[in-house]
This record gives sequence, structure tokens and C-alpha cells, in this order.
Amino acid sequence: MRLLAGEPGAREIREQLRSLRSAGRALRARPTHALYGPLGELLDAFGAERSAARDALAAALAANSGFSGAVLREGLRRGFSAWTAASLRELVELELRTGAQAATAAPPGRRTARELLGFETTATFLAGSIPMPTLLEVVAPLALRSPVLIKTSAGDRISAHRIAEVLAGIDRELGECVRVADFAGEDAACTQAACGAACVIATGSDESVAALRARVGSSQRFLAHGHRLSLEVLGAAALAPRELAGWAERIALDTSLWDQLGCLSPIAVYVVGADLAASARLASALARAFADAEALLPRGAVPASALARASFELAEAEMRAAGGSPVEVFRGSGASFAVVREADAALRPTPLYRFLRVHPVADADELLRALAPLGPQLACAGVAGFGEADAALAARLLALGASRVCRPGELQSPPLSWPRDGRPVLRSLAREVSSELRD
Amino acid sequence: MSADPARAELDARVLAWMHEAAAGRFARDEARFEALALDLFAFQYERCPPYRRFCEMRARTPKQLRCADQIPCVPTGAFKELALRSFPPERRVHVFRTSGSSGERRGELELDTLALYEASVLPTLAQLLFPDWPSGRRGRMRVLAPSADEAPDSSLSHMFSVLLRARGDRESGFDIAQGTLRSEELLRQLARAREEARPVALLGTAFAFVHLLEELERRGVAIELAAGSRVMETGGFKGRSRELPRDELHAWIARSLGIPRARIVNQYGMTELASQFYDSSLARPGEPRRKLGPPWARVRVLDPVTAEPVADGEIGSLSILDLANTGSVLAIQSADLGRRVGDGFEVLGRESGAEARGCSIAADLLLGGGAE
Repeated sequence: MRLLAGEPGAREIREQLRSLRSAGRALRARPTHALYGPLGELLDAFGAERSAARDALAAALAANSGFSGAVLREGLRRGFSAWTAASLRELVELELRTGAQAATAAPPGRRTARELLGFETTATFLAGSIPMPTLLEVVAPLALRSPVLIKTSAGDRISAHRIAEVLAGIDRELGECVRVADFAGEDAACTQAACGAACVIATGSDESVAALRARVGSSQRFLAHGHRLSLEVLGAAALAPRELAGWAERIALDTSLWDQLGCLSPIAVYVVGADLAASARLASALARAFADAEALLPRGAVPASALARASFELAEAEMRAAGGSPVEVFRGSGASFAVVREADAALRPTPLYRFLRVHPVADADELLRALAPLGPQLACAGVAGFGEADAALAARLLALGASRVCRPGELQSPPLSWPRDGRPVLRSLAREVSSELRD
Repeated sequence: MSADPARAELDARVLAWMHEAAAGRFARDEARFEALALDLFAFQYERCPPYRRFCEMRARTPKQLRCADQIPCVPTGAFKELALRSFPPERRVHVFRTSGSSGERRGELELDTLALYEASVLPTLAQLLFPDWPSGRRGRMRVLAPSADEAPDSSLSHMFSVLLRARGDRESGFDIAQGTLRSEELLRQLARAREEARPVALLGTAFAFVHLLEELERRGVAIELAAGSRVMETGGFKGRSRELPRDELHAWIARSLGIPRARIVNQYGMTELASQFYDSSLARPGEPRRKLGPPWARVRVLDPVTAEPVADGEIGSLSILDLANTGSVLAIQSADLGRRVGDGFEVLGRESGAEARGCSIAADLLLGGGAE
């Protein structure tokens, strides 16, 4: 990996954008089947039940991503499992029906209806070290015939290169439509150069996003994916003796994958309509499930700050228990996980790295009130145990701000069509245009 | 003095140490510390029921402890949840509260006497912030914080009030009123001190300094304060619109006020503690910068998993034993990371070593940025 830096790096990035513009001409001329075919192959290469590409990626990441090898293998397997050629076709059908046809079929000047066009170039600034989103950040712009520059994150200088290589192996010309740039996020010259793309996608913290937004002009498209959080909500039926352990295992899986660091990782479990004893049983079951999960999916590296924060929060919870509050603390050996059975719905800090709070709430109204401050940051909610009321609760969570509701155990396997942050996957990267000229 | 004879006896022993320090014997005495800490722990174990239960949960009772470092530490966050006092509620005479945004629960330190707090402040400041001032000398101090009259629940304002009363001259005073920096008056004061070649001690919160520095920039002026001037800043930027790394703040202060970096001192303190810690650069010039505190306070750097001390130079959680906390709990676990540096320590904040590996946002960030 060669880290670009300063003005020489910026020159190289401007050159990459020039070459992408050039490659884009051929890309835009491609017939539909010659575009979605290879992109589907790329998805299948990583999503197949047995995938050499995925195994190689997991192995390469194990050395420096901070995640354990088992978490990488299982996280990628589950994450990519629903991302297939078929799901790409469905996504295109769902979001680009008119645009896909018009962009390929109609010559300039003869378009008569609204259509969707990809930007001349797209630049994506990745963040963090969870590799899954990288594949989508490559596929989505290309599906709109927009060549893409991927700026890797300090935490993952590997995935984008690997994905680009696999794509080039499938279709060399399409591979020319992806460029990967490694440079430090603080490098102003390189960042400014990469922001020369017509469409800029920023991921990361509010500060990172704001810094990029300031570099993008008003004539460019700017799209941001900030940090988000997820949670799980269980109803009484999920707490029945025969159900409890199963849901606890699924929640522990959702949490353990990516060490609770992803936006689809739950930070808390809300138990609706159950008494304290039921939430205590769930907390206890979760502790057992986490201990089992640790054997299969060992936690990766944890920074001292997170360990210190977890220790602080656990001591604080124990102090509340000592003060008479019905709070209970479950610790994994070597601080490998923590579960805190809370006495109420009050939001409390979550240090992540497998630290889960279980909150009892009286009913859905109290749940929604408790979650109201999180609404804008909510990504996904895992819901189970409400019987026929599942759908009604899902609707209320979506109205609150979540962009996805699913079953516990499925949080880390989002469909390709998941409208992350409430935005369409492809359409948000497109220009919608119309012509009033008729044949 | 406390009506509780056991407490009165403990207070007297701690105060005696502070008075000795005020008289110039500002020296560590580990045997004295150990004896006092264990006696104080036994007292607080008896008088503070939530703390007693906390200790029992950890199987750390006075009979089981062999040294002060085994005393269970209470996280500062617990002061938001519980009344951690070792005296009856009717004896309460004062409350200090942690800062916090509106609606956020604030930690409370209840006090039945301010005597220890005040007795701890002055010798520590004399030793670590004013080591070049002869004992008893008064000098010019301007404070970028509200007075204790305006902010009676702020331990910082109380500390500044105590300091000004004891060591400030007639022209010393507070420059924040009704939440606003009175920059006109402050700049006039600083200009006058400069004309008189009188050194100034400029003391306040880090964020108030940012306001002052921005005001100077807006006016396009820089001030060259007289030789011997110094700055003490404290606190972070939680809930503020702007954050500034400490190094940058100090460089900006040096540039705009003409004060050498070695004379700019950061204070590390918290509402839950009666004692404070200061950068060593004034007290130990030429030595590596580190935090030093009074001999009746001990800072430990602990492994967050094992709660055992980490090796010198390694990063761990900061926990503090403060004998001046006779009325509450003497052993406090902070949310900060730090590392030992010689006979002192370095504060690394709460995020040091953290990598931005994921895209999840910890709920505390949504709740206002921290446990305190």
C-alpha cells in the first residue's frame, strides 16, 4: 500500500479522476446487460456460500483490522449473503426502472421523460474498518454508470483494493472505472483533489462529514452517511421460557459481529411489557449467549479508552445497585463482554465492544418516548415477541427515525436495497433530469 | 467542625497536614497517608450505606484491606445518582454540582463543612501555581469564571473566591458576569497592569480563554503581559460549540498574551474531589511537564480490566485517593485515561488510543458527550 501525500499525491488523484472521466465514456455506452451482469458477478463472488474472494479478503483483513479472524469471516459471510446478482436486478428494477432504460436507449436530445443519470465521477470517502460497505460503495455508482474513486480509511486500506481487483478480473474495462486512493484524512491537498468529483460521498463522524462538506461546491452532489446506532426490542412472547435463549443468542450474535462497532450493531435491548424479573432472565440469558459467542467469535482489539469506559460504566451501575436500584451487572471473563440489566428506560452511555444494556419499558408508548432522542440517529431495530403487533411497532419505529426493522439475529445481514439513512441506494447517487423536447 | 467525634478526629488529622503544608512543609509522607486513608475508609464504610454495600459487593471491607490502594473507587458518575455523603443530611451546608447542559443530570458533592476544601486549595496553589511568590504576598489576579456569589454550586468558582480572598490584591476580580466575558473591563485591567509592569495571574476555564482570545483576534491586538505573569486554565469543552486541543490553546494563549508556554498551567480537577492537580512547569521548571498534587492526594493509573496499577508509562484509568474528601468518599474513579510520569501523571482524556473503527455512535455522545 502506497500512501499518497501532499501536492504530489493530489496531482496523482487529479490524474485518477481524469482517467475515470475517460473510462466513464465507455461505461455510459455500455448496454444494460453488460453492466449489471459483471456487477452481479462481483456481488456473487463475495456473497456465495463458498467464496474464495471473501475468504481472501477476511484473511487479509485479519492482520490489521482489529477484528478477530472469526468475526471477519462470519461478519462478511452474513453481510454479503443477501447481496447477489439477483438482488442487484431487483434493486435496479425498484429504483431505476425508467432511468436505466432511458440512460441506455435514448440518444441525447431525444429524451422525452424524466430519467436518472449517474454523475460523471463519484468519490467516496470511507471511514472505519468494517469492510462491508466498501463493496456497495463500488457497485452503486457503477450501476449508475458513474466511475468511482474510493478513498480508503486508515482502518481499512485493503478491502477497496481487493474488490477492485476482483472486478477487474471479471471485466477489465469495468475495473478501469474504479480507482482506489490511500491517503490520510487530514491531508488537505489530497482531500481537496478527491473532492473534485462531481458527486462526493462522505462517511464517518459528524466532524469528518462537516470537513468534507466544506470542500464541496454547490454545483456538486454531496451525500453524507454519519454515525448511527441500532437496538433490539423484545415483547413478552420472546421472553417465554422456550423462546428466551434463542432470542438471546440472536441478539448476542448481532452484537458480537463487528464487536458492536457497526451502525447495525445494537447498543441496547428494550423489553416491553415485562416485569423486572423477566428482564433479569433475559440479561442472564444474554450473558450466557455472549460467553458462548466469545468462544466462536472472539472479540478483537479493544482500545484502552473503551476498556476504561466500560469499567467506569460497570462500576457506576454497581454503585446504583448498591444504592438500592434493581440494577444487575453481568461481566464476561477478562471483560470480554458486559450486560447491565437496567431498572428503567433512561438512556445511558454505551462504551460498545460488546457492552449491552437491557431496559424494561411498560409499553410501546414508553418505548417510543425513551427512544425519541435517538430517532435521528437510529439505523435499525430488531423486533420480536409482539405477535400480530410486530408490524405496528415496526411502523412506529420507522416513523421515529429508523430506516430498517428486522428480526433479531438479522441486523448484520441487511438487504442490498436497504435505504440506509432513509435514502434510496441508487437514486440518491443519480441526477434526475427531464427534457421537454419531443420527437 | 463535625459533630461526629470520629469524623472530627479525622478532619483534625487531615487539616493538620494541610496546615503544615501551608507553613511550607509540602511533603509526601506515605506512611501517614496510608494510616489516614485506611482510617478514613473505615469511617466512610460505616457512615455511607451505599458505599458500604458497594464495597461489600467487591468483598473489600475495612477488615479485609491491607493497604490504601485496595480501597474501592467510586466512579464520578455515581455522584449523579446517589447522595454519597458520610454525614446526616441535616448537616449539609453546601453542594457543589458538576457542569452540564440543560436537562442533563448533574453530579452533586454534598458538604457539611468547607474547611477542608479551603484548607486544601491554598497550600496546593501556593506550591504549584505561585511557587515564586513569597508566602502571604498578594498579587494581581483576573478570573475568567463567575464568582462564587454568582455560581454558588461551582466548586471552581468557590476555589477562585478562596484564592482571591487570600492572595489577590485590590484590583483582582472576576471577569465573567451573567455568563458573559466582560472583555472591555478585562482588557483595560490587563493594559493597566502592563503599563505598571505588574505581573498578572489570569485564571479561568479553557472555554472562557477561547472567548478572550477570539476577542483579541477580533480587535486585532495581542497583549504582552508583564514578566512573571502566568495563566491557569481548566476544564474541557463539553457541550461547547468549539473544541480546541490543549496544545493549541496554550500556543494561542502564548501568542496572544505574551506568556511563555512554561508559565501556562493546566489544572486537573473535578467537582467530586476537594484537591486539585496542576502542571509542574512552574513548580519544577525544566523538568518534563506532568501533573502534581498535594501530599494528601494519591493518583493511581490502573489497568481497566484488572484494576491493578499499570507499569510506568503505560496508559490506564486514573483513580484518585483524596484525603480531603472526608465528608463523602475518598476513593474516586475518573473517566479519564492517563499515564504515570515520574512523581506525577499525565492526563490523556477519554478518547486516547481509541480508533474510529466503526460507524456506531455510543449513546453517550448523543447524551452530551461523557459521564460527567
